[in-house]
Amino acid sequence: MTPGQSAHLSEEAINDVLIGLGTPESDAHLAHCSICSSKLTEFHSEMEAFNRSTLAWSEARPMGRLAEAPMSKVREAMFSPLVWALAATILVAIGVPLWNHGGHHPPLNNASVPVSVSQDSEAQIAQDNDLLRSVNVALNENEESPISEYHLLGASHPHARTRPELRKP
Amino acid sequence: MATYSGVSFDLGTIAATGIESSVTGRIRLISELDDIDALSRTYRARLIRFVAYSTGDPDLAETIAQDTLLRAFNGRENFRRECSVSTWLTGIAINVLRNHQRTERYKFWKKVKSNAMDVHEMASFLPADGSGPESQMLAKERVEQLARILQTLSNNQRTIFLMRFTEEMEVADISEVLGMQVNTVRTHLHRALTAVRGQLGAKL
Repeated sequence: MTPGQSAHLSEEAINDVLIGLGTPESDAHLAHCSICSSKLTEFHSEMEAFNRSTLAWSEARPMGRLAEAPMSKVREAMFSPLVWALAATILVAIGVPLWNHGGHHPPLNNASVPVSVSQDSEAQIAQDNDLLRSVNVALNENEESPISEYHLLGASHPHARTRPELRKP
Repeated sequence: MATYSGVSFDLGTIAATGIESSVTGRIRLISELDDIDALSRTYRARLIRFVAYSTGDPDLAETIAQDTLLRAFNGRENFRRECSVSTWLTGIAINVLRNHQRTERYKFWKKVKSNAMDVHEMASFLPADGSGPESQMLAKERVEQLARILQTLSNNQRTIFLMRFTEEMEVADISEVLGMQVNTVRTHLHRALTAVRGQLGAKL
């Protein structure tokens, strides 16, 4: 209150009342002054509407499960320098040996590199065939064919070349 | 039996009643804090509102509210009933918020993000109070105006204003929760009130 200047409470005194620090004098004044008390009522009315509106707004927000909260701690941990340092160490520990293995060893001896079939020349194939043919002949020199008893083999038989002894009269 | 100023008291009855009410209160609080779903249903919206309007960030408010409820649940044995559960939770939320605001991630997103609070959307949530459409429209405009004014306050002024007039905390409780002198809290409140009442209209 500002006696001598105004019959009403000062703005500071009204603020004090709103804060909850009113004095017996201000309380006594408010008891009979409708102008000052209406200021308080208006403010409380504004705040009440604000509080109802904001509470309705926050209640309308979707409710997440509290169990999800620890994930936020995991996300926080993602930003921890210690975690980044650990991740970098693991990457180096795995990456360096792999890099050395792939790019820094001297080229392997050609003899140990398997030759692909597509690289075989026709001459090589013919040589292999001759080798296989001779092996076949050597294996069957002293062995009678199990189908010889049927006297089926003639000159045109495809296996005749692998059973030269059968072509003997 | 004891006598004081000519009135007799049965000390045994008084003591038993006190213990009973204390035990009853303790049981009620323990059961409230022991049920995390009930705790969330009762206080989550208020926590979100407080943090959202204190920081201007609704997404952050959800995170802080969740962390606050979990911390409260995990530390419920530490609640000493020296204040209401709501005040206790607000104090935890303040601490969680402070810790969060110290992180580099928060500082980064604070720079990147624009103000995410949509005060127009918020005002549209004002429940109908039975008044006419014109009155309802005016009330929404006033709510929107108040929300915009709050955004112009300093962080301390806004937070303390919300603690006093939205969370309805006493100045002494605000002082304790924030670790701030009572006179400093009063100064912030005075400045906030002057700004809010001055901008809302001379009639306040």
